[in-house]
Amino acid sequence: MPPRRHQPARQAQAASQSLDAEVLAKRAKRRLDELERSNYAEPSVSYLGLEDDEDTGKSGKGRARQTISDKRILTGAGTKRRKSTMNIRTAILYRKNLTTLIDESGIADYSTNIPTYITAVTGPSQAPPRLLCSVCGYWGRYKCKKCTMPYCDLNCQGVHDETRCERRVL
Amino acid sequence: MGRTPVVVLDNGASTIKLGVSNAGKDVRVIPNAIIRSKGDKTTYFGEEFEACRDFSSLNYRLPFEKGYLVDWDAQKAIWDGIFSEQVLRVDPTAASLLITEPYFNLPGIQEVYDQFVFEEYEFLSYYRCSPAALIPHGQLFSIAGIPSPECMLIVDSGFSFTHVIPIMDGAIVWPAVKRIDVGGKLLTNQLKELVSFRQWNMMDETHIMNDVKESCCYVTSQFAADIEATRANPKSNTILQEYILPDFSLNKRGRIRKPDEMTLDSDQILYMNNERFSVPEILFRPDDIGLPQSGIGETIAQSIALLPDDIQGMFWANIGLIGGNTKFHGFSARLLSELRPLAPVDCEIVIYESKDAILEAYRSAVHLAKQAAFSSLVVTREEYQESGSNACRRKFKDWRSADKEKDGPVDSGKGKASMRRVDEKEPSPPPSAKPVRTRTRTVSAVKRR
Repeated sequence: MPPRRHQPARQAQAASQSLDAEVLAKRAKRRLDELERSNYAEPSVSYLGLEDDEDTGKSGKGRARQTISDKRILTGAGTKRRKSTMNIRTAILYRKNLTTLIDESGIADYSTNIPTYITAVTGPSQAPPRLLCSVCGYWGRYKCKKCTMPYCDLNCQGVHDETRCERRVL
Repeated sequence: MGRTPVVVLDNGASTIKLGVSNAGKDVRVIPNAIIRSKGDKTTYFGEEFEACRDFSSLNYRLPFEKGYLVDWDAQKAIWDGIFSEQVLRVDPTAASLLITEPYFNLPGIQEVYDQFVFEEYEFLSYYRCSPAALIPHGQLFSIAGIPSPECMLIVDSGFSFTHVIPIMDGAIVWPAVKRIDVGGKLLTNQLKELVSFRQWNMMDETHIMNDVKESCCYVTSQFAADIEATRANPKSNTILQEYILPDFSLNKRGRIRKPDEMTLDSDQILYMNNERFSVPEILFRPDDIGLPQSGIGETIAQSIALLPDDIQGMFWANIGLIGGNTKFHGFSARLLSELRPLAPVDCEIVIYESKDAILEAYRSAVHLAKQAAFSSLVVTREEYQESGSNACRRKFKDWRSADKEKDGPVDSGKGKASMRRVDEKEPSPPPSAKPVRTRTRTVSAVKRR
């Protein structure tokens, strides 16, 4: 026999306020990072970002660097195997991720009247956010007391509690 | 110069669109990825992927991260193949190159483009620009008898992100370019996650889910009504589709089940209900997945607000759609309905759809490459050998050309190329010290940001 669901809606709101906004932002950020991965396989409680994503080729301190471009053997392309220039070797061997490249480019220090990658991002939406059930996608009228994820009814709440709840909250 | 073949390379994060300007109409669309197929026990580089037979559990290595080229090792492996004699059938050392780069490409990355073009593949000359910069040369806005507009606004929604790009007199108005961090990659991953949570575990099946996305998903113009409709009982639910998943033995390709089609017991059915529209919906409401950004409609309004007051109406009246995401059914209808309340009442809003949104930039590029003026845009190998990447920096108009005086802080740390060829004109010390002398061409557009 299910307990009456009268208060929980209100309580959930209280809970969402008590949950640190910072924690929620972090959770959203992590989720978005996951969605950017090339081989997004497991919604993991990730190992510090995206590194597990890309395979073999790069670094691993001490290990000899292997490049995939040298391994590729082109048939029939003839014998033209020139040595690449220093610049090319550098670019191939020392891969940097985008965050590093952005840091190094110094675009963060450009004066504000120069448009850059950083300034080009669109502003936040004027419309209030919509709440959609995290289980079935219908309107999410209620929020989980523990993790603030929205759900629509008791049924979905049950699924949520059993599977997703708290997995993403720190 | 006139007879030099021009290799046109629209180097997208998902697919490379490749062709030669004087070689007729044929264009090749090649995945810009190194793909490992478990079933085939083979690794496919770029164009080799068409030989792939088993599309289950593919592993991707993409040269691009969030729209920018970071993995040059992978990119070289793919480019080596497409610049070889089998694919391109043109000798790079006797050809010119037109290549696209992402919007706001970082200076450090641009240098590596230059290095690859001249030092590795040794093209005679080359021109590099963003996809939208090519559109004025193409036919997206062409209506018989009317010259193409001076002001246009391009919405480029691709694999990595979505940009809104105003163009005035053929040049991009960079201060008003806006980006939404939603692209096809994110949408496919989102669909994968939804489906895996609700039905089958498809987390490893990026390739299949991308096909599901492309065949089932659409943009709704009535989200609230559709979400109610998907709750209705299956008999009266007109949105529900059944996608028959491929098993790679009998049926190689997945397909949508037709209304009267019988299914075998062995067929695995994927039910596509509200996933069909709630996934593309993210383009219009990024906050649905917790991304605190405006959707396309609002972003267009933000961008136009940064343009000179008296000509804003021209941009509302010339909106062009390019990029794979704009192919979603219902995209332009939805965009129009979002824009109408945002635009001034007396403004006409016209949206131009491309017949082939993925190839639009490529086709425009071919038009440009055929024009005589193209030879004046390029940087030649001699110029590069003379002054290195500075030659390209001076000549290619990009987001920094609003501010030409300041060329400074580009060589971060490892500027080995520029150490060899020191450019006398550029004694400015690296980072921080930046003369705030700007020469902005669209003065009125520089409002507060």
